[in-house]
Amino acid sequence: MSESQPLVLALPKGRILKELLPLLAAAGIEPEPAFRDESARQLRFTTNIPGLDVVRVRSFDVATFVAFGAAQLGVAGNDVLMEFDYPELYAPVDLGIGYCRLAVAEPASLHAQDDPSRWSHIRIATKYPEVTRRHFARRGVQAECIKLNGAMELAPTLGLCRRIVDLVSTGSTLAANNLVEVETIAEVTSRLIVNRAALKTRPEEVGRWVEAFRECANAA
Amino acid sequence: MSITQLSDVAGLALLPAGLQDGLPPDAAHEAALVEQMIATLAGYGYERVKPPLLEFEDSLLAGPGEQVAQQTFRLMDPISQRMMGLRADMTPQVARIAASRLGRAPRPLRLCYAGEVLRVRGNQLRPERQFAQVGAELLGSDAPAADAEVVRLAADALQSLGLKSLSIDLSLPTLVGGLLADLHITEDAGRALRSALDRKDAAAVHAAAGDSAPLFDGLLRAVGPVGKALPALQALDLPEAARREVAGLAQVVEQVAREAPELRLTVDPVEHRGYEYQTGLSFTLFATGVRGELGRGGRYAAIGAQGVEDRATGFTLFMDTLLRALPAVQRRKRVYLPIGTDPAQARGLRATGWVTVAGLEPVADPLAEAQRLQCGHLLQDGVLHEVENE
Repeated sequence: MSESQPLVLALPKGRILKELLPLLAAAGIEPEPAFRDESARQLRFTTNIPGLDVVRVRSFDVATFVAFGAAQLGVAGNDVLMEFDYPELYAPVDLGIGYCRLAVAEPASLHAQDDPSRWSHIRIATKYPEVTRRHFARRGVQAECIKLNGAMELAPTLGLCRRIVDLVSTGSTLAANNLVEVETIAEVTSRLIVNRAALKTRPEEVGRWVEAFRECANAA
Repeated sequence: MSITQLSDVAGLALLPAGLQDGLPPDAAHEAALVEQMIATLAGYGYERVKPPLLEFEDSLLAGPGEQVAQQTFRLMDPISQRMMGLRADMTPQVARIAASRLGRAPRPLRLCYAGEVLRVRGNQLRPERQFAQVGAELLGSDAPAADAEVVRLAADALQSLGLKSLSIDLSLPTLVGGLLADLHITEDAGRALRSALDRKDAAAVHAAAGDSAPLFDGLLRAVGPVGKALPALQALDLPEAARREVAGLAQVVEQVAREAPELRLTVDPVEHRGYEYQTGLSFTLFATGVRGELGRGGRYAAIGAQGVEDRATGFTLFMDTLLRALPAVQRRKRVYLPIGTDPAQARGLRATGWVTVAGLEPVADPLAEAQRLQCGHLLQDGVLHEVENE
């Protein structure tokens, strides 16, 4: 329980991590070499800063680790934050990386003859059931969500359901699967997130990193 | 025991989600902590009240009770045919007692309470649907000294249990609402701004605040340790009403820091979630390394006698989180008394703090029996022997 317990920064695997490394460097954080080795079995890494460790987990799990206080700091897209909406999370800095959008897509053929104003119920394949349900509920439409963890674009082509809600960055995956983007639910960027209790009980240490990332994000 | 019997017992053991049996030694530990905190509160002149578990829905959910309406179990009273609610929070009950049966008691009125509450839904951080609350309410004063007293009292009650590394986060839940009105921000934009401020989402605050973005950005930066955050807050160009709130906060901070300089105070002028019914200075209690809140409190408008509002403040501590924050309990030392032990000697042991566990039948090996019953000691022929436990 002492102040000397290390702070843990949870980082997402994959695409965002590459964009994140220069920001970490700018903030003065150098993880140990094994961190850059994608095949390493190690999950927790030390850094050049005594008392600051980093962990590498799935992007959805970053929010969970930080919400429960298992990690005090993390980097997560606002898509993840919207999906969970943990009251224990603060997102004080927009890191300005990982730009994409959360969008509704459907087959081009369907789009040509569809009239969304007549919907009362739709079925959607998505990794974001909560965001999707809330989004359509606001328009008076009941969304039945089929939770998938990847390859959402397959769902319409194989007849699982006709519409999907997924992250779109260039739109080329959609196009390759004959899908068109019909609506944007939210613009997405990566945020620095902090655990609420950690910010309140270790305000100097945690606040210092918030400040450091804010400066780097503004400078970038 | 046969397999079918075993599975029958397992079937009986399953409890509804979020409910659990308190077992030894934790159940006794929790009860002792509650009594200890109540004793601390009583020492400050807070007298204990004991509201019922169930009340008519209309009175339970009136005023500050509205906040927990969605979390309240309801059932029909077969006698009056009226709807009743099972308390999800005790503050509204204490406020009701103060307004009704204690309406004529002199103000300021200081009351305390302890009891179990039940909630419809747990959440990921607090899966418990039933847990104990301990709290205090100070009714009939809006002096800054009253705010300072309850902050200090909450800290004192927690520290009396040996809780280290306590942090108190002070907030002004009405500050942002006042600003939105002063700046003529529309309701929709205001809601978006509130939600962004609750999440400390600087990007969303910027998007929602329009021309006032620098001001709200300034508020976001006035979050943190009191020594930095309070001057930052005072330096902001705020409208008159907001200035007064900040001045009140500074007065309370000054008094608390003077009387309890060791307390770690932080300031968060934009926090609003969970403070929806607070009408002034509010606070949340945290401990380092503990997930979730230990308790929260603040100013609210209690329905007063003859409809006059009682200016009230108080706090509630959550026993489930608190137990996680405290070190694991040590069992008291237990001694096994073989059957036939002199009752006077047993009384003597209990009087000096021993727990005596009496044998009910003669046993061949009292030492082994003491061990089996988790006793660290055995009384044999009037002499205490230490038992080796693994």
